[in-house]
Amino acid sequence: MPNLTDSRKLELRRELETLVGRGAVLSDPDELMVYESDGLTLFRALADFIVFPTSAQQVSAVVKLANRENLPFVARGAGTGLSGGCLPAEGGVVISLMRMNKVLEVDYENQIAVVEPGLVNLHLSWKVGPRGYYYAPDPSSQQACTIGGNIANNSGGPHTLKYGVTTNHVLGLEVVMPDGEIVWLGGKTREACGYDLAGVFVGSEGTFGIATRIVVRILKKPQAVKTVLAVFDAIDQASAAVSAIIARGLVPAAMEMIDHLTIQAVEDAFNCGYPRDADAALLIELDGLAVGMDVQAEHIVAACRESGAREVRTARTEAERQLLWKGRKSAFGAYGRVSPAYMVMDGVIPRTKLPYVLRRVNEIVAAAGLRVGNVFHAGDGNLHPNILYDPRKPGEEARVVAAGAEIMKVCADVGGSISGEHGIGLEKADFMPFIFSVADLSLMQRLKNAFNPRGLCNPGKVFPTKKSCVEVGPVAYRPHAIEEKGLAQRF
Amino acid sequence: MPDALLEKLRTAVGPLNVLTGIELSPYVVEGRTPEAAVFPGSIEEVAAVMALACEVGRSVTPWGGGTAASVGMPTAGAGLIMGLRRMARLLDHEPGDLTATVEAGMTVEAFQTALRSCGQWLSLDPADANRASVGGVIATNAYGPRRHLYGTARDLLIGVTVVTADGSIVKGGGKVVKNVAGYDLPKLFIGSYGTLGVIVEATVKLRPLAEHEELVCVRFDRLKDAGAAVKAVASSDLIPNAVELLDATAATGARLVAGATGSSTSPSAALVVGFDGVREQVEWQRAELARLTGPLGGRDVRQLDAGAWPRLGPAAPAAFATPAAVMTLAVLPTQVAEIMEQGAGIARGRGLQSAWAAHAGVGVMRSALGSDPAPQDPGAIAAVLTEWREIAHAGGGHANLESAPLAVKSQVPVWDDPGAAGRIMERIKAQLDPRNILNPGRFVAGI
Repeated sequence: MPNLTDSRKLELRRELETLVGRGAVLSDPDELMVYESDGLTLFRALADFIVFPTSAQQVSAVVKLANRENLPFVARGAGTGLSGGCLPAEGGVVISLMRMNKVLEVDYENQIAVVEPGLVNLHLSWKVGPRGYYYAPDPSSQQACTIGGNIANNSGGPHTLKYGVTTNHVLGLEVVMPDGEIVWLGGKTREACGYDLAGVFVGSEGTFGIATRIVVRILKKPQAVKTVLAVFDAIDQASAAVSAIIARGLVPAAMEMIDHLTIQAVEDAFNCGYPRDADAALLIELDGLAVGMDVQAEHIVAACRESGAREVRTARTEAERQLLWKGRKSAFGAYGRVSPAYMVMDGVIPRTKLPYVLRRVNEIVAAAGLRVGNVFHAGDGNLHPNILYDPRKPGEEARVVAAGAEIMKVCADVGGSISGEHGIGLEKADFMPFIFSVADLSLMQRLKNAFNPRGLCNPGKVFPTKKSCVEVGPVAYRPHAIEEKGLAQRF
Repeated sequence: MPDALLEKLRTAVGPLNVLTGIELSPYVVEGRTPEAAVFPGSIEEVAAVMALACEVGRSVTPWGGGTAASVGMPTAGAGLIMGLRRMARLLDHEPGDLTATVEAGMTVEAFQTALRSCGQWLSLDPADANRASVGGVIATNAYGPRRHLYGTARDLLIGVTVVTADGSIVKGGGKVVKNVAGYDLPKLFIGSYGTLGVIVEATVKLRPLAEHEELVCVRFDRLKDAGAAVKAVASSDLIPNAVELLDATAATGARLVAGATGSSTSPSAALVVGFDGVREQVEWQRAELARLTGPLGGRDVRQLDAGAWPRLGPAAPAAFATPAAVMTLAVLPTQVAEIMEQGAGIARGRGLQSAWAAHAGVGVMRSALGSDPAPQDPGAIAAVLTEWREIAHAGGGHANLESAPLAVKSQVPVWDDPGAAGRIMERIKAQLDPRNILNPGRFVAGI
């Protein structure tokens, strides 16, 4: 990648300003530092420019300029990603989509919406909520993360157990290709013409181009919802309950597990009503028709009790339901109460392997002299062990990364995957060989070549490289710019 | 075919598993006879055959149950048929994980039978389940009425193993229900019509069988009213698993009107809605459907027997002894009834009969042109199909020709124009099959 001289940088800044407007380009080191990482702060890199386009044409113009200058470019939404997927290449351009945040069209009769990529996930549900609709994929960061970022990572969320992940809700996209051409993949109808390029694009982690318009499905809100909290004295019992529910032929809308450490953190922070002494809790939600809901809820309660639940209760009001969900969705934030930093893992395993893998996770983390909190989508076997650590203690980050790798290996060995919804990004690129052969990766590389032959669009992600964490190790802790200025602190 | 090549194929898969000469008659497509049909018994044998074909530059057509063999343009060059019927085992089914892995040659029916014994099913209901193979269903993106609630292969396929054009064995996805590691290769192969690789194994998500299921038929005197009923169902609290709209001719094709003889007015449309769940949910929904559709002109609400399910998807072509052409249209759901009326009018205008049946809730429909009384002029058929495609475009969608005589296919492009995306598709094809040996020329954009 070229190393720009200061004078060349200034020229390019001027040119970028003519493309996207003054006030839509950042290049001061202080400002660039805000964009040096995503939600995974282990990795950092500085771009030369951050630009804020407002249209597909502007995105295309910036991409064409980057091509001309042989500069790498990376699309970025809210920066809530957890795998370093939108980390800048060293140098180059970060294209922030945060000013493209409109709902362009809602067609209630056909149950679709056309949105811009910078739209915050939850804002779409807010927009269509008054008419009785919602957007189903609900990552825990949905108050901040953008639909464009969800596209890149094929994001999930608790309710994807029943409703599927992002890809199941995207019909088409307008994309600025890595060479700057603007192309529609898919459209507004349920069938595309030719290969399912929209399906291939979703989850490509920003390496196939930049989505500038997205057609998503919106769903009718269910007539009735029932939320059940089951409390267990042993986490194995909670795992058994998950299997027992599935064995009864039930597919709840969500089935979330929260372990002891996490319950305590959540209760300290938010007081959501989870019993502090429980070893694990399952948050189970049913939705659908009002008729028959009670019968299904009885099945759930019975399955939990047979598996050893000491208490099973049902939210009686919407406020109670919201409070239970707040505990689940705020868990990641609550870890801040008990640890200065944590690293989220994202392994997926066959559901029947839950008890074994959870035991192994706890053993691995304990052997590394660290603590772990588990809060995850038990219904679809998507684990989120959160390894707690203190980045200021020398050597801890390296131990976290090593323990994380071992956990991923366990997931791979039981027939699972190293990422369920957070993406490979930079973080897991070197672990791809755990689950993919050289031939598998070679086919993926050829697919990438079809979209992104020059490799300038989000380089260094997804594929194993010689430069990622295994060889180099995580970047050593250094205070963030806003910490140095006393504007924020870690506790 | 040179004897030396034939000998190598026989060595690769066993002499009994290579067909030539007169034995090839089941594999003749549009009058073209392949050079040989080979039936490998393992992934390694598929890879060996592919590598041989690649080496000598023979085209390869993957073949499951043959139910969609005539879809698309005939491939350029005779080449080999790669039959997967010997690879028909259920490899792995863990009921507690709600997933299963099968070999591509297993028929959908055999797969469903095995799953049913554990109270589960693959929520995909394509036609011809007794012949259609799992691999073929994926490669052609086949589906049935229940896609309304349960989606298509893209919502169910979580892992795939393919043999690529150079004979490599490649896996995409995995065995877990949620997985974002690497690119979504399963999506790439769904609906790719064998142009990117030979699908040899698939891992799919399963669902528990519902306690109860019902199919309910409501008849309307006007198609337009039935269209309004579709919209009313969509905006209601109902959670149907199928919403089918059939015009009078297609309703005959699906044999829905058997009991209607002697009825004073012949209905012009049928709305067929499926429900599943616990019994009280199904009963409540049936009553609610009657309540919603009554004021819109719906009458004769009655349950159909389960045997009607597989007749719904093929209803339009089944209305004619030998349809002159069949088209698949994808449009916005709200446009369905209007396009059916317009389309039938276009056919009538040229003196042709047509039948229309739609998975109305998702805006996907099939139309068939009749061939009575006499063999039709290909020009007239082509003109109707071209106009049908235009109304699909006006409805925000597109249309592909599912079957038609070659004389018609030479006048009307089989596949709709994918626009600028077609160039990306060509680049993908060039990357994955640089020698262009997998089903060459059969698919979109000349791929």
